[in-house]
Amino acid sequence: MNVDAISDIFRRVLENDDVRADSDFFVMGGDSLLATRVLSAVARSWGVELDFDDFMTAPTPDALAKKIASTA
Amino acid sequence: MSVVVVGAGLAGLTAATDLAARGVEVTVVEARERVGGRVHGVEAAPGSWIDAGAAYLGERHTALTALMAQVGLRTTPTAMTGDSRFALGDDGDGRTRPGRFPPLSAVALGELFDALDELTRAVRADAPWLSADAVRLDATTADEWAREHLRHPDARLFFPLFLGEMMAADPRDVSVLHMGFYLRSGGGVRYLNAFAGGAQEDRVAGGAHRLCELLAGRLGDRVRLGEPVRAVHQDDEGVTVTTTAGSLRARAVVVAVPPSLADAVDHHPALPVPRSGGRTAPGCAVKVHLVYPSPAWRERGLSGWSVNARGPLLSTVDDSPPDGAIGVLTGFVTGRQAHDFARLSPGEQRARAFEQAVRLFPGLPEPTGFHVTDWVNEDYSRGCYAALFGPGDWTRLGPHLVTPHGRVHWAGTETSTEFFGLMEGAIRSGHRVAAEVITTYDRRDEHV
Repeated sequence: MNVDAISDIFRRVLENDDVRADSDFFVMGGDSLLATRVLSAVARSWGVELDFDDFMTAPTPDALAKKIASTA
Repeated sequence: MSVVVVGAGLAGLTAATDLAARGVEVTVVEARERVGGRVHGVEAAPGSWIDAGAAYLGERHTALTALMAQVGLRTTPTAMTGDSRFALGDDGDGRTRPGRFPPLSAVALGELFDALDELTRAVRADAPWLSADAVRLDATTADEWAREHLRHPDARLFFPLFLGEMMAADPRDVSVLHMGFYLRSGGGVRYLNAFAGGAQEDRVAGGAHRLCELLAGRLGDRVRLGEPVRAVHQDDEGVTVTTTAGSLRARAVVVAVPPSLADAVDHHPALPVPRSGGRTAPGCAVKVHLVYPSPAWRERGLSGWSVNARGPLLSTVDDSPPDGAIGVLTGFVTGRQAHDFARLSPGEQRARAFEQAVRLFPGLPEPTGFHVTDWVNEDYSRGCYAALFGPGDWTRLGPHLVTPHGRVHWAGTETSTEFFGLMEGAIRSGHRVAAEVITTYDRRDEHV
């Protein structure tokens, strides 16, 4: 269920509606500045403070949801 | 028709070029012994020029790229490879990291960029004083805003560094409205911040000053140097512009200088609304260039990019010529640090900059050249990148920014709501004012 919420965060930050569960944030035009905005939204929603390197290794909604689940 | 243009910076030179092309008899009077204003080149080594003032452009800067194409200038990419250095802790020691991302909490930086993004969207770019919440946003400083909106210590640490780099501002000097406007005007936080794909994608090959020199060269003896303007007096038939060297008579005048300098001229009739306000501050930037026999940091896998909390160089960037024949490390001293650094003796400035450079990039030899460009105390710029509008300034001055004062018309990057503070804004203001003058007086000529 996190996957949908994370996809929504991607869509808002990237200003792009074509985000799917396996869309790579950086391939979709994301950069490190925009990545921080995803991570602040994750911290607000799930209370998990991930760092930039965490996101680099899990740059899709699917992978990020798993990362959050394993960290929480 | 005759027009006098005051100021041979990019705005004035663009306006004069457009006017001359339309057959207007134009004279440009410039206070300095050089053209360019806040665009200025320094010769780091024979034939190798570096930008001591405005330097960068991106693909959205369409007026600048068009003007460069007209005079045959090319761009050089700023692309950097290698790791960055960050000295953000109290100890001042650097850490090496890939990319430009500082080793701070990503969540904290996200908090900062979220808040800035929200602010930027709330400001009307074309008329910030008409933004829904303009009065409240114009009543507080960016410093007060940060204390209210940023909770994370890393966000509070990074914010002044970010603002220094983006707009050469101390957060205490600018209103929240001006900060939001500046970021919006430049294309948003992300575009303004980025090198690749952003506002720092390229430099002008050979130096940005070449653009001004080439424009001035085409204008020839219509450009008069070393003639500060003292007075602009209007009467029913025209305008008399008095410089230190004499007086000029014209149908109209284009004043293309920063707001506080425009106010320093004796205007008759007096300006109904000043160009700058009580809280308008100079952009706080000192640019430092350290010249080395080679870009030796590259051999250690470093890009030359660094971000430093303590200064004096708050960030550094590799500005070496494309062939790498010499190494040039450019240091930015901005915000509060700029005032402090400007007060040091040349020897102290040198010692502090050298010491910091070698701490960031171990093994660097003694520089072979050292240049300091102090824009804060430049009499004929009064700050760089641009004037900083403090609390109350936008709501009071904004509506009059481009309104002609009789036969006096206004240009300069501070009159452009598009790309305010950048070369692009200056050029757009020059085109706008030239069209304004031609429309106004051509019509009058028809009917007189």
